[in-house]
Amino acid sequence: MALRGARRAVALGFRRGLAEAAGPRSTRQLREAEEAAPVFQYVGKAAKRKDRVFVWGFCYSGALGVPSFVKPDVGWKKPRRIQPTPYRLETEEKISSAACGYGFTLLSSTTTDITKVWGMGLNKDSQLGFQRSRRDRTKGYEYVLEPSPIPLPLEKPQHTRVLQVSCGRAHSLILTDSEGVFTMGNNSYGQCGRKVVEDETYSESHLIHQLKEFDSRVVQVVCGQDHSLFRTEKGAVYACGWGADGQTGLGHYDITSVPTKLRGDIAGVNIIQVSSYGDCCLAVSDEGDVFGWGNSEYLQLASVTETTQVNVPRHLPFKIGKVKEAACGGTGNVVLTEDGNVFVWGYGILGKGPNLIETAVPEMIPPSLFGWSDFNPDIRVAHVRCGLSQFAALTNRGELFVWGKNLRGCLGTGRMEDQYFPWRVTVPGEVVDVACGVDHMVSMVKSFT
Amino acid sequence: LNAAPGRPPRQHVRFLPAPDGGDGGATGLVAARVPVLADHPLVRGPRFRRLKIGAGHRLDVKASGVFILGIGHGNKLLTDLYNCHLTKVYTVGGLFGKATDDFSDTGKLVEKTTFDHITREKLERILAVIQGTNHKALLMHSNIDMKTQEAYELAVKGLIRPMGKSPPIITAIRCLQLALPEFQLEIHCLHETQQYLRKIVHEIGLELKSSAVCTQVRRIRDGVFTLDDALLRTQWNLQSIQNAIWDCQLKVKTELEKTLG
Repeated sequence: MALRGARRAVALGFRRGLAEAAGPRSTRQLREAEEAAPVFQYVGKAAKRKDRVFVWGFCYSGALGVPSFVKPDVGWKKPRRIQPTPYRLETEEKISSAACGYGFTLLSSTTTDITKVWGMGLNKDSQLGFQRSRRDRTKGYEYVLEPSPIPLPLEKPQHTRVLQVSCGRAHSLILTDSEGVFTMGNNSYGQCGRKVVEDETYSESHLIHQLKEFDSRVVQVVCGQDHSLFRTEKGAVYACGWGADGQTGLGHYDITSVPTKLRGDIAGVNIIQVSSYGDCCLAVSDEGDVFGWGNSEYLQLASVTETTQVNVPRHLPFKIGKVKEAACGGTGNVVLTEDGNVFVWGYGILGKGPNLIETAVPEMIPPSLFGWSDFNPDIRVAHVRCGLSQFAALTNRGELFVWGKNLRGCLGTGRMEDQYFPWRVTVPGEVVDVACGVDHMVSMVKSFT
Repeated sequence: LNAAPGRPPRQHVRFLPAPDGGDGGATGLVAARVPVLADHPLVRGPRFRRLKIGAGHRLDVKASGVFILGIGHGNKLLTDLYNCHLTKVYTVGGLFGKATDDFSDTGKLVEKTTFDHITREKLERILAVIQGTNHKALLMHSNIDMKTQEAYELAVKGLIRPMGKSPPIITAIRCLQLALPEFQLEIHCLHETQQYLRKIVHEIGLELKSSAVCTQVRRIRDGVFTLDDALLRTQWNLQSIQNAIWDCQLKVKTELEKTLG
């Protein structure tokens, strides 16, 4: 001890360092200590908000893109059947558009790199293109468990950007800005826009068809269950695929293998949005009118006709105000008006409690269910989306509300029960867009700071 | 209270011996009304020695604001008010840049961080999310089956509230002012403690990738009682207390009838 003290004295030149004053520190000492403490910087002034992707729902098909759900990396873990709450999916690029099909998912980004589209999930009909198997280079994967790049036959791969993707039951559409629409997957009803080949095997197929012959640039592509809809810049709508319910809207009930322009009540009308997921289709014009065609077994079009299949687009005379956006589900439809109100009609869990099962006329969902109150009077619904039997609404504050049948945990609420009125999904971020599928959902989210 | 004139002492009839001895012997009694000696103020002592005072929702030492007290028979109303589960409104002041161990600015310093990246927009976003998750908790703890029609109707009207024990829930939160590094929030909550509010301030700081401490917690409303009904320190005298009780009686009665039926 004494030796150490002596050495210290020699080294430092003074003996103060050994003992401090006893007793509690005075206010002045505390303040000085506080001011001398180091300041940590976690994020700078120009920090940007990060873009993230969250997935939830049924995992066994691989549609969520997390391989450890289906094949756990540790031996004792069991494969996860359902992911009931949002789970973050790591992606290499910022995902601008996502679409959920029946057991598979497509993600796309507006990058000019070679890889622009990733797919995961079922690939039995090559709806994700040809995914070369690593074990046997001649065969392809039937289930893709993590987001894998889809090779597109582009002429200018480093200039073209992918704007939007859409998925149906067993086919998918990819919209680019300068090279038209690429289709892949099942073509037994001509939904890929090419001639039906008898007894064609769709699995492990390399064929990706390109569609360029439209009157103007295609700005939106929508997949129904077995048909495809294309909306062009001039406001026209083209359709191809299965038509037994009239969902192609071309005046007949046969299949169409070449995209053909729709007539009927939308001829000459500038359509700004088209939507479909099952066998019914809705279109919104720039003046706020709604047109519908296709399956009407669930009273979706019962306001204009008694027939259960409508094969020509009909104007739906709803007096609910100017419509901004529409979304079609399997049995129910939802529209969003300019003033931010949500109207539902059709069959199933529509969102107004367990008593409202079916209605032919749109009913409004009270805005107080979306968080509107005297305390927050400026909350509005900004977007509406539809899955097969569930609905999703995004508010302008970035909150996601879901309701409908909770098939295999697709609502993301954390519970397995059906939800009869809009319920918030807790996502750690501001939800920018959401894509609904049959039993899973994908959302694009911006982080808070 | 004791200074107020009490009731006059009881009188009773006593047979007292006559002042004048008379013819020295028996039957010299005269009936006279005299005050009972037992009722004399000096014998009896002060009329009110103790008052039963009950307290409403807790307010800890570092916080300030409206604090409800019940006197005497009013204590029964206190339990009824507690069962109403009405929201309380607080004004919470915070300071960015510091983190302490007990979440207030008088605690031991744990960390200092920068805060110049914080904008009002980011703060509002965090507050919206806090409100959203607490709204979910509100619906879940209210113990109503979500699948019934009445649950839907109550949710539309916004009347779903937990009517029993529940963890602290914030029903509404908004930013009153933000002047870096200080900020002020208005919080409407149920079943909370002031330390929980300080913890919320700390967590807001963490979410914004900085740190925050709470400088002030002030309750401005407790159920039906607001700051206007509250008595200041200088007004703690009998007259003001009586006036305050009189003014609030009607409010409390209507609220209890409305909620408890």
